[in-house]
Amino acid sequence: MKDFEYKNGIFIYYLPKELDHFAADRLKNKTADLFDENIRYLVFDFKNTVLMDSSGIGLITGRYRKVHDNGGMVYVINVNEKIDKLLLLSGIYRIVSKRENSNEIINELLEEGYYE
Amino acid sequence: MSSCNEMRVEFKSIAQNERMVVAAFITETNPTLEEVSDIKTAVSEAVTNSIIHAYDNREGIIHIKAKTENRLVTIWVTDEGHGIEDIKKAMEPMYTTKANEDRSGLGFSFMEALMDGIEVCSKKNVGTTVKMWKEIGATGHHFN
Repeated sequence: MKDFEYKNGIFIYYLPKELDHFAADRLKNKTADLFDENIRYLVFDFKNTVLMDSSGIGLITGRYRKVHDNGGMVYVINVNEKIDKLLLLSGIYRIVSKRENSNEIINELLEEGYYE
Repeated sequence: MSSCNEMRVEFKSIAQNERMVVAAFITETNPTLEEVSDIKTAVSEAVTNSIIHAYDNREGIIHIKAKTENRLVTIWVTDEGHGIEDIKKAMEPMYTTKANEDRSGLGFSFMEALMDGIEVCSKKNVGTTVKMWKEIGATGHHFN
């Protein structure tokens, strides 16, 4: 299974089953060279994730800083109840937006004319 | 009927499966999936602190002790690392000494939110013990 995908300016992380310190570090290192000014939309997909600790919040805020500096947007999708509880607790919804899935994001961007 | 049990395990800070051991041990208290998940996440936080702060990502030994008394689960996570100089400061939400390594500073906040209580005991150059506990069945639906 792929860990991430980057096309048409949208970068999606497919997060692992357990997003802990080891997994967050591995993802960060694996994609470090790919973070450039062309990333407009960054998406964290929690579809397969059943456990996340605060290392996951660190991963999101670290990547957020890189994308936000270039005027990009950050989303979380397929968030289950358990993950949602921790995302709420962390206060991260002040800087990232929650959507159901990637189609919802793409439709939204198409409607707003930001994305073709 | 009252029941009481205890387990101890120690492992290297490069291991990644400590949560499973604790999750298996607490099964006898008949927890919900959510309670198991909360405890696994809290253990993961404490162990992560030992790995990155106590041992600076290098190898070290981490001890976990867990105890069940009826439906009260108590867990101790102990390392023999650097120790925490200012525990109060370390427990402040979003306080981190490793911001440039993408650490959120939320480890203790998550432990506090997921467990019923937490106590931290630390001595410089000797190590740190995080004790945390949770009453199983305090809320929610149970299986079996």
